[in-house]
Amino acid sequence: MHHLEVDGLTATYDGKILVLDGVSIQVGKGEIVSVIGPSGSGKSTLLRVIMGLLKPKAGHVKLDGDEVDYGNKKSVKALRDRFSIVFQQFNLFQNMDALRNVTIAPVKIRKRDAQKVEKEAIELLGKVGLGDKLHSYPDELSGGQQQRVAIARALALRPEILLLDEVTSALDPELVNEVLDAIRILAKDGMTMMIVSHEMGFVREISTEVIMMDEGKVIEVGSAEQIFDNPQTSRCQDFVGKILRH
Amino acid sequence: MNYTFQWGEAFIEVPYLLGGAWITLHLSFIGFWSGATIGLFGALGKTYGGPVTVKLINWYVIFFTNTPGLVTAFFIFFGLPEFGILLSPYHTILLNIALNSGAYMTEIMRGGFVSVHKTELEAAETMGFTLLQQLRYVIVPHIAKVLFAPLSNWYIWMILGTAMAAIFGVEELTGRVFNRAAETFRSIELYTIAAGMYVAITILASSILVVIGRWAFRVKVKVF
Repeated sequence: MHHLEVDGLTATYDGKILVLDGVSIQVGKGEIVSVIGPSGSGKSTLLRVIMGLLKPKAGHVKLDGDEVDYGNKKSVKALRDRFSIVFQQFNLFQNMDALRNVTIAPVKIRKRDAQKVEKEAIELLGKVGLGDKLHSYPDELSGGQQQRVAIARALALRPEILLLDEVTSALDPELVNEVLDAIRILAKDGMTMMIVSHEMGFVREISTEVIMMDEGKVIEVGSAEQIFDNPQTSRCQDFVGKILRH
Repeated sequence: MNYTFQWGEAFIEVPYLLGGAWITLHLSFIGFWSGATIGLFGALGKTYGGPVTVKLINWYVIFFTNTPGLVTAFFIFFGLPEFGILLSPYHTILLNIALNSGAYMTEIMRGGFVSVHKTELEAAETMGFTLLQQLRYVIVPHIAKVLFAPLSNWYIWMILGTAMAAIFGVEELTGRVFNRAAETFRSIELYTIAAGMYVAITILASSILVVIGRWAFRVKVKVF
């Protein structure tokens, strides 16, 4: 049984524009599954639908075999207890310093012991290289630092699966690596992750499995070697050919 | 210039004028919070209300932001008694200030509501925040911070605006200068002292607001 099973997931915007068209994906424990594809192919939407930010029109999402009911608040809450997502635009709480951004949900929402959470948060921020920025506010941090706070914040919720939605796309090129390094550390720790990314070198290096999407559909699934060196479908060949040329 | 300053006569009146300054302060303070309350509901109505609510609030805002405060004050002063409502000059002015600043604050506060980052709320939602928790931990602190500077400015502006009350016989700072100037003819001296008091009041109020702003909302503002 797979840890996360997405089966025939379909979603629309405004009930008209089809953005996900029968997407099926499996993620096993400890796996890192990356989703690549051109802009507008539905990669980010896939993560948003899984997190319950956009209701699916059809299809199932199963967690350890249990189906998530997106019409049921309790079911969605249970899902969110086990998943964390990091966004392209960081989405940190601007009115809180780095440490409070990390501690607020575990303390106020999950009602865990404040002192223990704080100790853990300091460790997490240290792990992503921000041990000296505990009391800096988002507007005092660079994009790369903010994104690392966002990663620490997601981890503080002790997710079983971490979803990363183009987490380096909004960063200056020289800041990309510091965020990727933080993700590499998580990979080494065995974190289960679903990564939407345009950093092909990174995807190739880190992924257990790569999924190529286009126009809301899964075009090809395979190992990084297969997708990048020996793609089977013409659409995937075309896409990989274009991106590897520069 | 043929004018001979006679400060001595004017300085005798300082305690009397200080009493007026005190009335100025609480007139503006009560007026501000009444206006803020109206503004809060106005902004909520405009942001979340139906089309009829929005239209009614718009009419109210358009009326009060496009007429001089003095004109609406006269309107209330002479209009309400016709409906059998008799208010003292002090309360007439207070009502006028509340309605006038309520209209402005509706627009200022609406700006605060609109400026809440939807993406921050989305992040909060995925972290398990309920709507009430989002309101408490994300929305309200954000709005408070965004609104602090414009509302502070508005408060200072209101303190000065209360001078209008003198025309209706309210004995705030300017009103008391009217009284004594008529008796002693030391207008220039008395108005100079009053101007100094207004400056002192606004600097004091600004300083207090700056301290509150830095301490509570991390708003980096300066007095000058």
